[in-house]
Amino acid sequence: MLKNITLGQYIPGNSIIHRADPRTKIIWTVFLMITLFAASNIYGYVMMIAVVGIILLVSDVPISYTLRGLKPLFVILIITAAINIFTYPGDTELITFGILRITLEGVMQAIFIAIRLSLMVIIGSILTLTTTPISLTDGLETLMAPLKKIKVPVHEMAMMMSIALRFIPTLLEETDRIIKAQSSRGADFDTGNFLEKAKSFIPVLIPLFVSAFKRAEELATAMESRCYRGDINRTRLKELTYTKDDRKISIFLSIFLVVFILSKVYM
Amino acid sequence: MNIENDNKVLYIVQAALIAGVYTALTLLLEPYSFGHMIFQFRVSEALTVLPAIIPASIPGLFVGCLVSNLLGGFGPIDIFFGSLTTLLAAFASRKLRKYSILVPLPPVLFNAIIVGGYLKFLYYKDIPLLFSMGWVGLGQLLACYGLGYPLLLLIKKRFGETKIQDK
Repeated sequence: MLKNITLGQYIPGNSIIHRADPRTKIIWTVFLMITLFAASNIYGYVMMIAVVGIILLVSDVPISYTLRGLKPLFVILIITAAINIFTYPGDTELITFGILRITLEGVMQAIFIAIRLSLMVIIGSILTLTTTPISLTDGLETLMAPLKKIKVPVHEMAMMMSIALRFIPTLLEETDRIIKAQSSRGADFDTGNFLEKAKSFIPVLIPLFVSAFKRAEELATAMESRCYRGDINRTRLKELTYTKDDRKISIFLSIFLVVFILSKVYM
Repeated sequence: MNIENDNKVLYIVQAALIAGVYTALTLLLEPYSFGHMIFQFRVSEALTVLPAIIPASIPGLFVGCLVSNLLGGFGPIDIFFGSLTTLLAAFASRKLRKYSILVPLPPVLFNAIIVGGYLKFLYYKDIPLLFSMGWVGLGQLLACYGLGYPLLLLIKKRFGETKIQDK
């Protein structure tokens, strides 16, 4: 069971996107998504596809990985496309069967929605494919730092994320071991109806909690004995710094943004 | 097992481990989550009953949901709004902790309304709102009441009502 799991989606590489600071990547991911939602005509979508295509090419991420991210979307894409094709109001009729009529506007709408959904997932996966979870955490912590002023426990949250990321492989192994141990005692995870199957996981969850809490106590003791006391005077092993790469990315995407806004105003 | 404490470091670490358990369960059980592609049934959502017993699980679930969505999620909107919904639900569950039967209710309702709501507006604009909400709600209902509620009763029985009450 464990073999099928890829932990995180990070693909090591040395492209400009890989080297860029996680803060740059997070900020631009957010901007690109907002732009994607602002796109309303064919020009907007073409520009979005072009810019995402360029980023993908530059990032050296195999296209197959990016497309894999679209797999879970497949069913939803088909359902939404079907609903749009048949229900979207429009004047240019293409085909009519009884009460069902397919219009050009409906087909266009379905294509736009499919593009928007796919680009959305691709933009998000470029971020996770080129950034390690730990540097994403670091990036989020520094970006959210101003929220400390309104008493949001930013450091604590980032610490939790880092510890959680560190323990996920351990806990995965543990869960797998418990499932096997309970199966060998006769636990049945595969038969019965939906609810029975769900309930069969209780004998897995309880031992998992007990062991997780034991680990938590050990780790807390270890941290305290090394004088961990939150973010007061805490230093980092790897300081985040903006480099030339970040400037290049920001300049390129700023130009794109200006062109996009102009096209929205004038076209 | 020390589950109510004033120690900040232990609180952070417990929350982190709960986040880890949530993510591990999501990742491990998602591929064979009962063969349904259409609706999401996250076994890990059963953990949303934990705030009733363990205060550290409020941030824990939030971070767990964030990390799961970050690692293998459905999309970036889920990363922020999905996790914030979990956080809100966890606070509400904590408030309702005296009534075990109501504890799994906030994660069902909040996810149905908020997640179902934004899914409609972002992804499937032409699907009726109630359908999109019901779709999310049903998956949550099964996870939270089908698995979460029995889990809550069992943990309460095992670790005793007295120990887990607030001081």
